[in-house]
Amino acid sequence: MTNFLDTLSLLVLLTAFILIANKRIKSYIRTFRLQSLFIAIGAGIIGLESFAQEGRFDALILSVIMIILKVIYIPNLLDNTYAHVDHTVEKDFFLNIPILIFISFLLFLFSYFSFSSIEGLHEGKVNLQMINLVSVVLIGLFFMITRKKAIGQIVGFLVLENGLFATAMFVTQGMPFIVDLGIFIDLLTGVLIMGLMVFKINEKFDSIDINKMKNLRG
Amino acid sequence: MGNFIYFTIQIMMIVLLAPLVNGIIKKIKALTQKRTGAPILQMYFDLYKLLKKSVVISQTSSWIYHVTPYLVFATALAAALLVPVSTMVTPTSFPGDGIMLIYIFVLTRFFIMLAGLDTGSTFGGMGSSREGMISSLIEPSMLISLFTIGLISKSTSIYQMMSTAKLLEIPLVQPVYLMIFIALLVIIIAETSRIPVDDPATHLELTMVHEAMMLEYSGRHLALMELGAVIKQLVLITLLANVFLPHDQLIHLTGMGALILSLLFYIIKVILLAVLIALIEVNTVKLRLFSVPNLAALSFILSFLGFINYFLLGR
Repeated sequence: MTNFLDTLSLLVLLTAFILIANKRIKSYIRTFRLQSLFIAIGAGIIGLESFAQEGRFDALILSVIMIILKVIYIPNLLDNTYAHVDHTVEKDFFLNIPILIFISFLLFLFSYFSFSSIEGLHEGKVNLQMINLVSVVLIGLFFMITRKKAIGQIVGFLVLENGLFATAMFVTQGMPFIVDLGIFIDLLTGVLIMGLMVFKINEKFDSIDINKMKNLRG
Repeated sequence: MGNFIYFTIQIMMIVLLAPLVNGIIKKIKALTQKRTGAPILQMYFDLYKLLKKSVVISQTSSWIYHVTPYLVFATALAAALLVPVSTMVTPTSFPGDGIMLIYIFVLTRFFIMLAGLDTGSTFGGMGSSREGMISSLIEPSMLISLFTIGLISKSTSIYQMMSTAKLLEIPLVQPVYLMIFIALLVIIIAETSRIPVDDPATHLELTMVHEAMMLEYSGRHLALMELGAVIKQLVLITLLANVFLPHDQLIHLTGMGALILSLLFYIIKVILLAVLIALIEVNTVKLRLFSVPNLAALSFILSFLGFINYFLLGR
């Protein structure tokens, strides 16, 4: 079973890499949906296991909430937001895509070396899932600071949060139920507000490029 | 003696099956576009027609242009000998045939590129330069993928890689194998000039890479070049099928019956992978030439992730 979770965590990392290699907003949202689906499957497996062993079913509920919220609701919301603002391919990055991929890989290596230097975390073997998922958090942050469009930054924030949730889920077999639920509700309101902000930015500046926000108008 | 007969069967099978795999991919593409499409066996008819026709050669061309079609076909056959079709029989496994396989392909490509430059046509040189760029981008990830599987099986022999993968229950669920599988899939798409990298169906100046170098060939030379290309494609698919989806643990027979059953399983797996490749080709669009480095970087990083995960897990 741990082998299967290893593979799932690696798939989540893979979607993070695919995300950073993308330049179309539509496929950002699609990749985010795929990543959330993988995490929901992982949470479902952990939930089934804990239900069979201890009779707890909070991880199962979390998996269902994850599917409703992050696989269906938030991507649809972002799609709607995107349909109402101007359509352009994101052309100019701060760096080109192969360098972005390479830096993300360096982030993965960084988390590998930093985790293998912590004593007491592992018994002779480094925890693969922890490394993969913490590097998802780092790559989400990196994605957020390399994109100029506001929707890209929202997706970066969501991936960062996905990484945090998956780390807590996979490594510790689930935080207390109330904590996870609180994070989800927080996230939902955050994304709702950000979606409204994108509308407002588009209305004010005729574009969602954040570089144009330097000359603020009243 | 038994081995000799087996090798003859293997070579015959790969040469005879290769156009069929191409036909299946083309048929699926046609069906998804709501066309009827050419019959699955169309490539055999084309090859038969081309083999009957005479050859037209540019007067300015040198010996390289005359040698290339035969060399392409011969290297494709050599590559077909290195990859065992069924893991039931031990092939000629001398150390280093994974590396040998890669460099046999590189030799083929080197001569195709030289011949593209040789006749002095405008398209040939353009195709050669693009092919050189793509191949240099793809080669590192192919080497790292094969080396990682080689590290797991502690040998670079392809037969050894296949028999090590056979011992695992389902290799594709292992993290290392999964990453390498996806990386190799991208590599195969780039190597066999499929759609995200190169469009095999058009003769448009903007999009063609492999076709641009083939424009000058005619008659039996063209037939040999096309057959060589599809054999190369089938050899790569065979590598993918037998390393990542080994089927020998399903067979509980010995002797001749097991061999025949194993070959049947092999054909089923090849058709499955051909369908997968066709679906990828249908669902993507042709990339700009300058976006190919992004794909290559992704494939390189995937194989590297597999490599690092091998060190983490130790298997």
